[in-house]
Amino acid sequence: MTVLIVLVALAVGAYLVAVLESWAVHGRLEPARPAISALALLGRESLLARTPDRLFFEAGPVVLLVAGLLAVAVIPLAPGLIVTDLATGALFLNAALAYVLVALIMAGWGPNGAYAMIGGWRFLGQFVAYAMLIVMPITAVAMRAESLSTVDIVTSQSTLWNIAYQPLGFVLFVAAAMGLCWLPPLDLPTARGDLAGGIEAEYTGARLAVLRLARMVLIMALAGATVTFYLGGWLGPWLPAWAWSAIKILFVAGLMVSVGRLVPRVREAQYLEISWKLGIPLALANIFLVGVITLVVPI
Amino acid sequence: MSALHQYAVLFGLTLGTVGFVICLYVLARAIGSTRREPGKDVPATAGSLSRDPVWVRYHAKYYGYALLFLAFDMEMAFMYPWAVVYREEGLTALLDMGVFLAILFLGLLYGWSQGALRRQE
Repeated sequence: MTVLIVLVALAVGAYLVAVLESWAVHGRLEPARPAISALALLGRESLLARTPDRLFFEAGPVVLLVAGLLAVAVIPLAPGLIVTDLATGALFLNAALAYVLVALIMAGWGPNGAYAMIGGWRFLGQFVAYAMLIVMPITAVAMRAESLSTVDIVTSQSTLWNIAYQPLGFVLFVAAAMGLCWLPPLDLPTARGDLAGGIEAEYTGARLAVLRLARMVLIMALAGATVTFYLGGWLGPWLPAWAWSAIKILFVAGLMVSVGRLVPRVREAQYLEISWKLGIPLALANIFLVGVITLVVPI
Repeated sequence: MSALHQYAVLFGLTLGTVGFVICLYVLARAIGSTRREPGKDVPATAGSLSRDPVWVRYHAKYYGYALLFLAFDMEMAFMYPWAVVYREEGLTALLDMGVFLAILFLGLLYGWSQGALRRQE
C-alpha cells in the first residue's frame, strides 16, 4: 500500500516538475504539455539505428528508470510513508545512483552513433567530477545522525535543519545533484545545440518517453534526497508531515530545473577542475567542521 | 519489516518497473508499428553514415582525475561505517580519520602539483 502511495505521489510530483521545467524552458505555463508530449512520443515511430548494440540500447532507459525508482524507495515522505526504511538507506541511495552512469554509458554506446557516444563518454567525465561531492556531504550528515537510515537522518534534524548546521555540505550536494541529473548548466551528455541531443539523439518514440520519464524520476529522487538530508524532510509546523515533504521537494526540484538555465553551460574540463580543486577540499573541510561541531555541541 | 522483506520489496519494484516499460512498449506497438524505409536508420550525423567507426578507443582526457578518483572512492567505503560510530568514539575517531584524510589529501595535492588535475593531451 505504501509503495502505491509513494509511486502515485512520485508520478504527480514528476508531472508538476515537468510543467515547471517546460515553463522555465519555453516561457509559457501549459499544464497539459507533459501529457501531450508523452502521448505524442508514444504515437511516434520508435526507430532502431543501423547496427546497434541492441542489448545496451534497450537497457539504457530501463536501467535509468530502475535506478531512479530504487533511489526514491529510501526517501521518507512522512513517518511510516517510505517504501523501505533500510538501515543502510543513505548508502543504498548512493548505490542506486551509481547506476545512472552505467545507464547513460549504455545509452551512449548502444545506438552506434557518434553524438550519442560522445555524450556517454562525457558523462563519464562528469561522473568523476560529481561523484565525490555526492558521497562526502552525505558522510557529514550521517555523522550527525549516527545512522545511515534516512528516517533517522530526518529525525536528527528536529532541533536544527542540516542546511543551517552544515551549509557548505548543502551547497556542494545540490551542485553535485544537478550534475548527476545533467541539468543545465551541467547538461553535458545531452548538450542542446552542441551534440544534437547527445545520448537522446538516437532515441525516438516510446524509448525516448521512457528516457525522459527516467530523467524526471531522477530529478525527483535527488530533490527528495536534498530535502531528507538538509531540509528536515517532513519536519515543519502546522501542516501535516506529507504536505511539508511535498512542498519542500517540489520547491527544490523547481529550483533545480529552472535556476541553472540562467548560467552558461560549464565545459567538462572546467567542471572537473572546479570540483577537484575547490569542491573536494571544501567537502573535506565540511566533514572536519561537522566533526568538531558534533563533538562540542550535543544537538 | 525485516531486512529480507525490504529487499524483496525492492526486487519487486525493479521487476515491476521493467514490466511497466514493457507494457508501454506494447502499447506503443499497438498504436502503430515502425515502417521500414531506407535511410531512416542512419544515426544523427547530418543524414549520412559516419565516416569513422564510433566504437573506438576514446581519449579520456580526464584520466588524471579518474586515477585520483579511485583512491578517494576506496576511502569513502571506510568513511560510512566510521561516520555511524563517530559520536560514540569521540575524539579518537576524529584523529584516526583526520590522519587518514590528511594523507589522502596530501596525495591530492601531490597529484595537483604533478599536473594530474588538468585536461590531459
